[in-house]
Order: sequence, then C-alpha cells, then structure tokens
Amino acid sequence: MSDIEHNTEDTIPFFPDHVKTEFYVVLGVLAVVLIIAIAGLIKPIGIGEPADPLNTPLHVKPEWYFLALYQILKKIPAMVLGVQGKVIGVVIPIVLVGLIFVWPFLDSKPDKSRRIYWIRLAFAIFAVIAIIALTIWGEVS
Amino acid sequence: MRFFSLKRFGMLAMLVIAVGLLILISTHARANTPLTDDRSYVPISPNWALAEVESSSPQLVVTPPPPTEDPCLSCHILGQNKGLWTPLARWTLFGSLGLLFVFGIVRSASTWVTRSPWKPLTNRAADWVDDRYKISEPLTKILKKPVPKYALHWWYCLGGITAFLFVVQGITGILLAFYYKPTPEAAYASIQYIETQVYFGSAIRAIHHWCANGMIVMCVAHMLRVFIMGAYKRPRELNWLSGVLLLVLTLVFGFTGYLLPWDQRAFWATTVGSEIAGAIPAIGNLALVFLRVGWNVTGETLSRFYGLHVIVVPLATVAFMGAHFLMIRRQGIAKPL
Repeated sequence: MSDIEHNTEDTIPFFPDHVKTEFYVVLGVLAVVLIIAIAGLIKPIGIGEPADPLNTPLHVKPEWYFLALYQILKKIPAMVLGVQGKVIGVVIPIVLVGLIFVWPFLDSKPDKSRRIYWIRLAFAIFAVIAIIALTIWGEVS
Repeated sequence: MRFFSLKRFGMLAMLVIAVGLLILISTHARANTPLTDDRSYVPISPNWALAEVESSSPQLVVTPPPPTEDPCLSCHILGQNKGLWTPLARWTLFGSLGLLFVFGIVRSASTWVTRSPWKPLTNRAADWVDDRYKISEPLTKILKKPVPKYALHWWYCLGGITAFLFVVQGITGILLAFYYKPTPEAAYASIQYIETQVYFGSAIRAIHHWCANGMIVMCVAHMLRVFIMGAYKRPRELNWLSGVLLLVLTLVFGFTGYLLPWDQRAFWATTVGSEIAGAIPAIGNLALVFLRVGWNVTGETLSRFYGLHVIVVPLATVAFMGAHFLMIRRQGIAKPL
C-alpha cells in the first residue's frame, strides 16, 4: 500500500540529516525575509486614500491572485443562453475548484509509463501560461 | 564538493542574515521619527490616544516615570545609566553567571571525591525526565525515521517553504495585531501609526505583505509539483484534499486581509468581491450578507473580516496543516516514477 519500506542505503535519517537540509532552506527563506524587511524600512508599502463609501474609484481591481478569475468574469457577455453572465462567471471557478478537489478520485490508477507524466507536465504548463496570460490581461486592461 | 552545494548555500544565507540584521538595526532610528516631524502621518480620529481614558478615570492612569527612572531596556547597551533597571540587569546577569561558576566548582569537587563519572548538566536533566516518562525510545524512533534520498531534490522543499512562510505570517501577524485597530475610524490611522511610529513597523508590515504573496506562489508551486509527479494518487487522496483546502484557506486569508487597511482600494475590492459572492446561485444572498454583515460594507464587515483573518482561518489552517503533515509522516514521501 504505502512505500515506507526502503533500503537503508537509499535513505537518510530524518534527524539530523534531513532536518539539516530543511534548516538550510529555512535560512535561505529567512535571508529573503530580512531583505524584504530592509526594503520595507527604506521604502514602506504605504497606504492609499482612506476608504470613502460615497466615492467609487474608476477602476476597481482585486489582488493579483484573483485577477485571472476576475478577468474571466469581466469578459463573459451579460446574458448567455438565458443565464446571467455574472452567475456563469461565479460558477466556473467553483466548478474548477470542485474538479481539482475530486481529481484524485477521477484519476486514481497508478502510473504505468512516463508518457502520462509528460502529459500532466504539458497540461500544468498550459494551465500556468493561461493563468499568467489572464492575469497580465487583467493587469493592463 | 560542487560549487553550489547546500552547505555553501547555508553559509551564504547566514552571511546575508547577519548583514541584514546589522543593516536593519542600524536603520531602526528611522522608525523613531517624532510625531510632529512626519507629515505623512494624518490621524483621522483624535480620540484614540490616552486622552479619553485620562479624562474619564484619572485614578486608573499610570503616569510615566521621570526620565531618570525610565525602564529603558536598551539603555545599558548605549551606556546610559537609568535608575534601577540597568544595575538590576547587571546584577542578575553577573549573579547568575557567578552561581553557575560556584555550582561547577561544587560539582567538580564532588565527582573528584566520589570518583563517579562526570555527566553534564544537560544529560542529567535528560536522564531525570527519561527516568520518569520513558520518552527516549519513542523519540529516537520518531527522529531517526528514514527519509528517502530522492526527497532531497529542490522541488520537494516547496511545501516546507509554504509552511515556514505560514509561521512567518503568524509571527508578523501577531506583531501587527498588537497595534492594529479593527474599527473604521481607527483602522487607517493605526496602519499609518505602524508605518511611521512603531519600531520596525514598516519592516514587519512589508514582511507580512510580501510573504502573503510568496505563500500563495509557493502553495501553487507545491500543488503543481504534486500534480505533475502524480503524488496525489492512491493512497494519498486525503492529502490532496487537505492541500486544496489549505490553498482555499490561503486565498481566504488574502481576501480578508486585503480589507484591513481600510483604504479606497481595500474597501472597493471587498465591495466588488462580496458582490461576486452574491451572484452564486441559490445561496448568493446568504453569502453576501454573511460576508458584509448586512447589505453594505461597513464597520461590521471590517470586524468580521478581522475575526476571520486572525482567529477562524488560522485555526482551520493549523488543523488542516497538522493533518497534512501527519498523513505525509504516516505514508512517506511519494516515490517518483
């Protein structure tokens, strides 16, 4: 079922060897965090105009990680086959997350060859490029 | 030894950390600019200082000590004698060192008299605990668990980086929560206060801001790695499920945290975001009213988002992270094809 059993020459002990490598990675991240801190001291992130419920800005943009979904929502026509475009734009991400959620149960057979691996890699690259393209489109529009 | 070995990377990282700490500490004076000199600091509400408390109940107000008795904790570094605290700290430090010295003399003498083998204090403490609770054997089993060598490739560290960034977010988030005020009158001013007055406030806020973005990037990268390598397959379905839930929770963190500065961008992004949630079929209005606490984005929304951001979502994230790690621990790291 699971592959806990390994030959001893293929493994390292969790402590101290594996913990040491993780520690080096943590040190690297910590170095980046400190550089961010210095940048923040020199140039603070800052804050925009105070919130004013009576004054709507011209362009409202979500954070960059919601931009792709927001762009899909914006580009769907107002009415599609008698359904409001807004509803479709909301249902699409929910269905996508649901699909990702149940994916291991849809694709449960163990890999037999490296071909399926390359297919998944190509699909992942395609998905990333699509999301990045949508995000850039949302950023410039 | 390869040129870019892990050890050299670690040494470089430590060097960067040391230099970074030095620069950070040497530039901290910037954070202590007096209130009157800083034009960017515009308090919106005038009554968020001590003034209100002082007028209502004068007997509860503690008057600050005169400068000579100020408990300035950094003064002994600068060589300034300030009242009681500097000598007290000095006596505590040197007194404890002296006690340790005396203890060492006594122990050395006793081992010399009895000819019993020398055991360091740490070993004695460990033996004392192990004698009572018998933890050494299970602890050794946990710590010496074999990890496959293929798990040393760099793409296996993405999930660990995400977890570490979550810890960073927790620490900086607690520090920010000490100064942040989740009311529409004070939220904006408290962010300005953090940015201009609090020691290292802008640094802490920058870390919290950028590590939030980094956490989402790392989360997605980890998920792509698992997807590409097919590590989600039987028997690790539940691991994938908890991982997707953790990604959703991270996005909820981002969405709720975005409102907290209470500036124009935050306010209108939340307005539009909750409006989109309101378009969900069947439960749309329910979701909208739950998010906004009413039909409009108000101070109640800010309170709710603050509660979600600092209590509900962190607790859920910690719970799912624990489950995620325990399942990895039990099943081992998936074997690549």
